[in-house]
Amino acid sequence: MNPSVKRWAPFAAVPIIAVAAAIAIPMTTNAAQDLPEKTPQQLLEFVADSDVTAFSGEFTQTSDLGLPDLSSLGSGSTTGADGDGFMSALVELATTSNDARIYADAEQGARLQVLDQLDERDVIATADDGLWIYDSGEKTALHVTHEGSSDASTPPADVPTPSSVAEKLLDSVDDTTAVAVGSNGTVAGRDVYELVLTPRDETTLVGDVTISVDGETGMPLGIAVTAEGASSPAFSVAYTSVDYSTPDSSLFAFTPPAGVEVTEKAIPADAHSDDAAPDDSTTPGDAAPEAPDVTTTGAGWGTIVELAAGEASASLEGLDAITTPVDGGRVLSSSLVNVLITDDGRVFAGAVSVDALESAAR
Amino acid sequence: MSNADTLTSPARRRGGGVGDLLLSELALLFRRRRTWALLGALALIPVLLAVAVRLSGSGGGPSFVGDIAGNGLFTGFAAITVAVPLFLPLTVGVVAGDTIAGEASLGTLRYLLITPAGRIRLLLVKFAVAAAFCLAAALTVVVAGLLIGLALFPVGPVTLLSGTEIPAIDAVGRALLIAVHVAISLVGLTAIGVFISTLTDVPVGAMAATVVLSITAQILGSLSQLSALHPYLFSAHWFGFGDLLRDPISWASFGDNVVLQLGYAVVFGSLAMGRFVTRDILS
Amino acid sequence: MTSSGLAVETRGLTKRFGRHEAVSSLDLSVPTGSVFGFLGPNGSGKTTTIRMLLALAAPSAGTITVLGSEMPKRSASVLPRVGALVEGPGFYPFLSGAANLTRFDAAEPGTSSRTRSARVAEALARVGLSAAAAKKVGSYSLGMKQRLGIAVALLSPRDLIVLDEPTNGLDPQGTREVRSLIRGLNADGTTVLVSSHLLAEIEQLCTHAAVMRAGRLVAQGGLDELRGATAAIEIVTPDLDLAREVLARFGLDATADETSTGDSTPRLDAPLPDGVLPEDLVVELVAADVRVRGVAVRRPSLEDRFVELTGEGFDVER
Repeated sequence: MNPSVKRWAPFAAVPIIAVAAAIAIPMTTNAAQDLPEKTPQQLLEFVADSDVTAFSGEFTQTSDLGLPDLSSLGSGSTTGADGDGFMSALVELATTSNDARIYADAEQGARLQVLDQLDERDVIATADDGLWIYDSGEKTALHVTHEGSSDASTPPADVPTPSSVAEKLLDSVDDTTAVAVGSNGTVAGRDVYELVLTPRDETTLVGDVTISVDGETGMPLGIAVTAEGASSPAFSVAYTSVDYSTPDSSLFAFTPPAGVEVTEKAIPADAHSDDAAPDDSTTPGDAAPEAPDVTTTGAGWGTIVELAAGEASASLEGLDAITTPVDGGRVLSSSLVNVLITDDGRVFAGAVSVDALESAAR
Repeated sequence: MSNADTLTSPARRRGGGVGDLLLSELALLFRRRRTWALLGALALIPVLLAVAVRLSGSGGGPSFVGDIAGNGLFTGFAAITVAVPLFLPLTVGVVAGDTIAGEASLGTLRYLLITPAGRIRLLLVKFAVAAAFCLAAALTVVVAGLLIGLALFPVGPVTLLSGTEIPAIDAVGRALLIAVHVAISLVGLTAIGVFISTLTDVPVGAMAATVVLSITAQILGSLSQLSALHPYLFSAHWFGFGDLLRDPISWASFGDNVVLQLGYAVVFGSLAMGRFVTRDILS
Repeated sequence: MTSSGLAVETRGLTKRFGRHEAVSSLDLSVPTGSVFGFLGPNGSGKTTTIRMLLALAAPSAGTITVLGSEMPKRSASVLPRVGALVEGPGFYPFLSGAANLTRFDAAEPGTSSRTRSARVAEALARVGLSAAAAKKVGSYSLGMKQRLGIAVALLSPRDLIVLDEPTNGLDPQGTREVRSLIRGLNADGTTVLVSSHLLAEIEQLCTHAAVMRAGRLVAQGGLDELRGATAAIEIVTPDLDLAREVLARFGLDATADETSTGDSTPRLDAPLPDGVLPEDLVVELVAADVRVRGVAVRRPSLEDRFVELTGEGFDVER
């Protein structure tokens, strides 16, 4: 009708197609793939039998816990004090998205690079040289060595990756969890099985955990935790690319660059490295925080963690803005995890309802 | 019509290449005193940084600035880090916003179109030259940084973010690669600026709108509530050049950036074409 | 060339800006080889029409044919054959005159870069700007810019040249030069369309003209056709009645000029039909003892016609 509308049409079509493609393409790549069918039990065994010894990949961790803005908490904790480091690591994990690369080889060791914007935190674990934790922003390096002969197989397992976390999770699958096989998909360009773990425990906030398993190698490539009643994952870790060739050996040799403050820490040969290596829930680089005095109650999905009074309270000052008062304390609430800080300074946390935390506090 | 004209007219039409117009457009941009003032201002950033570090001794500061005193090559990295959020978008906004609106306000647009330069041809050439300015601007910051660093500070092997040391010459190569990444990062903003420039005859308005959008995008990018939107902002990979300073280089954000900026160029390029082809030139 | 022999032809050409109709159903016919005067007061729609002829603005309705091809559809093949100066010159003030011309020449597809500097030098020479070629346009006077604008239109051989108010800002000498330039171009076979609100410059130059008023065409055709053929004779004499009788014998209906003031000699005016020679009239008047003090034959000027058609005076630059 209007000639100018007619002449506009071809040019208007291009952006519409481009935007539509940007939305549609990620969806179509998740379409079902042709993989031989497996029962949940076969899939669990497939993962357990996975014999990937060397690989490299880049992965992304995102959190959407529905938390208020915690950035004010995280930013104040760069002083490096142990308690603050522990707290800031938690805050960071809970609120931001992280990109990381992993290089692993059973023969040589493993290296994790957390790719921060204009900074990088590295964890390099090798049989020969122990554990290096390097922070380019802080310009610090921590070197953990085992006195005497060291156990060659231990260090690589200490680095948290989608694979190692998933394997630990699957190791602990028991009666409290229903296991099913979901629809197949694509992760990091590879066809994957989806293993869906659903807690039988009614008290937990966790709806289900979906583990993506490489259809060819059996290596877990992604984990997504969805809260009860939610449609999109509250927490997910997944590879964006993965390569099963052996990483270059130069990646495992770390020499602290000039101008970096190096802390040496030796661990007696008889002690196990569990205390020194970073816990799965912390990101590397926060110079090995000492875990506060922790006790747990409950079991399985409904486990409640209790921190004794005084341990973390210093770093919890100023929490008033983001917590809501309840009877006997304050609550930091999210879709997946609730934290109760009692008036006497004890902290209860768990993937359970606030009521469950309150009853544990009594 | 005379016989001679009958013979020459089809020959004249056969040409239609873009080369001459492109060269003319480049010459026009780089003959302007304003263009050199913009590039000069950009070159001043590393100079000021280096002089400030030199006078105050070493010391902390934003990324890389603290490293300058130990290794002059870091001046290039520090300068581009400082220039990316504001100064580069500012200069690119000026150039991109001026593309069509500037010609319209001078009155030259109608003569170019009568010539006839061809509306789509002119727009493509204008966009290409504005994109070339992005590269010139990013290179100016990096090269000026490397040169002033060489002049004022010792130079040696450079420590990458991953803790690996590389020889100085490799570091220069990485710095130039960063300039390329930053230039590509600004292509989306350039396309938006050219589009806005087709909407108005007032170049200052188009420039201001483009710069405001670049700041808006960065504000949106800092709001965690909008994290779903972040990968689609044209500023999403502006600081992704850090990935070029890792060992090995992480090409993921470089590649994502190319795709993203290409998407912006296609979307806003076709909007600009739609607008420009249907527009009445009344200036 | 065109089958119709028209360099420019519009049918029902209309341009609306919102609710305002700037050009209404214009049927313009510019014969090939003519110097066509496009007249009208400021704001009558001349420049808007020219913009549509050159595909700068799209018509709201109607068709345009330029050099035998439909516009704006075929603008890519038509415009290289058209040179134009539209609504004043537009240049890059920070470039020299020669650099400006080089830029416009480079923008035209298919022009040879080898002969570019020669073309630029020739165009500058034709408008008398060779001496100022290296000066920045920012330092040019308005007249020099106007000439440079004409030079742009002359860069390549054209079949049609459109000049919108070409003598704006030119001194009398410059105006004469532009006129002789237009005559020279026309002698080479180029059709020239000149728009102006200044009648005098058109009248001396044009073979054809069109007059616009408030977006509408009020007259168009050959110059004589436009002026109207009816001349008038004016006789100054104290013997009014006697003179009127003599004129009546020739079939002239004379009227005494009522506006003449008391101390001046009375006057008779009468339209002069074709076939009546003024000299015959004078012989008869003298034979009838009419004391003739003066006789004048006036043909209506285009200016009179213009005022009559547009109903208003035009902007004469004083």
